[in-house]
Amino acid sequence: MKTIAIVDDEVHIRALLEQTLEDLDDAPEILTAVNGAEGLALIERERPSLVFLDVMMPLMNGYEVCAAVRKNPDLAGTTIVMLTAKGQESDRARGHEAGAHHFVTKPFDPDEILELARKVLAAS
Amino acid sequence: MSKAARYLKTAWLSRQFELARPLLPAGTALALWLGGKKLAESDAAGADLSDACPGALSFALTLDGEVVGALLLLPPAGGEAQCRRAGDFLAHGLQGMLDAEHARRAIAQEALEGYREMALLQRAALELNDSLKPAAVAEALLKEFDDRKMGADYGAVYQFEAEGKAQLMRCFGAGADDAFDRFADSEFFAGIAADAAKAGADIVNDLSSLPTVPEFGSLLWRPLDAHGKNLGLLVLALQRRGGFTAGDMKRAQTLGSMAAASLHNAQLYAAEQKLFQSFVDVIAAAIDAKSRYTSGHCQRVPKIAMLLAEAAHRDEGRFAQFRLDEEERKAIEIAAKLHDCGKVVTPEWIVDKATKLDGIFNRIGLVALRFELLRRDALMERDRRLAGGGDSASAVRDYRARLRKLDEDFAFLEKCNQGAESVSAAHVDRIREIAARNWCDSNGRAFPLLSEDEVYNLMVQRGTLNPEERKIIEDHAAHTIAALKQIAFPRALRNVTEYAGGHHEHMDGTGYPWGLTRERLSIPTRIIAIADIFEALTAPDRPYRKPNTLNSAIGIMHRMKLNQHIDGELFDLLLSSGVYADYAREHLADSQIDDVDIGRYLGQ
Ligand SMILES: [Fe+2]
Ligand SMILES: [Fe+2]
Repeated sequence: MKTIAIVDDEVHIRALLEQTLEDLDDAPEILTAVNGAEGLALIERERPSLVFLDVMMPLMNGYEVCAAVRKNPDLAGTTIVMLTAKGQESDRARGHEAGAHHFVTKPFDPDEILELARKVLAAS
Repeated sequence: MSKAARYLKTAWLSRQFELARPLLPAGTALALWLGGKKLAESDAAGADLSDACPGALSFALTLDGEVVGALLLLPPAGGEAQCRRAGDFLAHGLQGMLDAEHARRAIAQEALEGYREMALLQRAALELNDSLKPAAVAEALLKEFDDRKMGADYGAVYQFEAEGKAQLMRCFGAGADDAFDRFADSEFFAGIAADAAKAGADIVNDLSSLPTVPEFGSLLWRPLDAHGKNLGLLVLALQRRGGFTAGDMKRAQTLGSMAAASLHNAQLYAAEQKLFQSFVDVIAAAIDAKSRYTSGHCQRVPKIAMLLAEAAHRDEGRFAQFRLDEEERKAIEIAAKLHDCGKVVTPEWIVDKATKLDGIFNRIGLVALRFELLRRDALMERDRRLAGGGDSASAVRDYRARLRKLDEDFAFLEKCNQGAESVSAAHVDRIREIAARNWCDSNGRAFPLLSEDEVYNLMVQRGTLNPEERKIIEDHAAHTIAALKQIAFPRALRNVTEYAGGHHEHMDGTGYPWGLTRERLSIPTRIIAIADIFEALTAPDRPYRKPNTLNSAIGIMHRMKLNQHIDGELFDLLLSSGVYADYAREHLADSQIDDVDIGRYLGQ
């Protein structure tokens, strides 16, 4: 079964993302983590196909998590989608540098999330 | 599988069972079924546990009053009472968790709908507000409902015209054009269109008994109204019946209100454009009307210019870098229409100066009168000599000779007066010699046969215009620039003045008014310059010559290319693209169209 991880310190974002992703067919497993450090541990343990990763988080920010994931050859199959704040275009440049594949601005468009998840899961 | 199975996480359930274990008699098998799926079990015995097992205790779990699953316990012998108590406790906790999850999800769903609508508005706003054309608004709107987005089988936007007639703007779906045309003729359509704005949006999910079109099973429509005006109608259809939901309607409402505002703006913009274009056309027509000889010039130059511009746009060679967008097309066309607008200040008698002695009128008539006086003088002289009894034969002979000379001289002047005549040094001498002769009025005062001004004009080397008049004519290009500079062109049209004002520039810098060389003249400027010349050379009538054939016009232009007057590359393109022939077919008389061997002119 495919696995998706949501790493965000805000509970409502986690809940909304989770609920959005529950609309996917084949019911992939959805795991959550509430900060960067926990998120990285989760990703290393579960090796999800897809990670939704917040930028601003305690303990370890999204760029650091992303860079760590990208450095790990075992996690080469993990696609990272960074959740950036609206209007923070500079976030994207940093995210690219850290090796993120896609970007979604918050508040996100549920349909965009679903389309992206379907595409990534189909390819993984 | 119902979504309820996702309400409780397996990790959480395992922990829950672990905590419940000490409350249960040893050896109790435990399992949780939810949404038709076993979510958790205590051990191997629990794994086989279903409500079919004899002796199993079942604790129902519900959502909204409906049973969605059960907690199952299989007590060991004698443990039934304890299991029932512990099971009630455990099931109550699970039910509470389910209820809380259910409520949380309902709220989250609501929030997600908000996200959806906001995202939809944001995305659609970009597209819809970006569209300055009604048809583009319709297209952007329909895109939100097609296969990829909402999955409607058919969609259409109608626009209501001034008389309330519905015009199909854009549509999608298999055979949609035809289907929506028939739909627009249906009684049903008349019903919803009649008072669309007031009646509002609606869904009919079973069209089987209604007079629409057979392709449509379900229908959704939403009037596009803004500022109290009924601008149009959005119609969506599904082949199957019962297809549209409240969510679809919400989407149509949200997007429809935004699209209506955009449509209103686009219609206003289109009206402004039309207004501006009609002003441009009126000015072009007025300039054309000013001279009977150049009529249609300002309408035909844009035709040639646009044909040539499109040819350059398509060209993959020399003009590979030159690409047109809609705004640039508009700029070139407007510039071509207005290129001669400076002629409004040029006096008509100069524009139309057909002969060299044309002023406000053709002064050759005055000269003819003077010659007539000299003929009378000659006649009187003969009669005096005959009356005086001299040699009558020689008097008649002299008279005839004088008359012949006068006729020859006048014929010579008449010929010189034509612009087509080139005037040589010998001609100038003869004009001066004629001018030096006198005629006398009845008081015996002598006057020169030609005034200084008449001599000056007759000596004009080429054409009919003397240098001062030529200057006035040439000033029209500067006047065009001065006039267009006064017009507050929008950004997209900011180059119109340059394109129009440079139409008499030459590639070698000898043109006017700027005297710029080729590299400083934009391609559109050079295109209009060539179009101007091609039109003038092939125009049906000009003051001092018969219309050119296509071949001779192109021969003349080829010399202009060699002389660096016109752009050689554009001249070659005019020929190689076939634009010259396309234009000729449409606008030249059959008698002008002859075969052109373009190979003779290309590339050299
Ligand atoms: Fe001109
Ligand atoms: Fe012209």
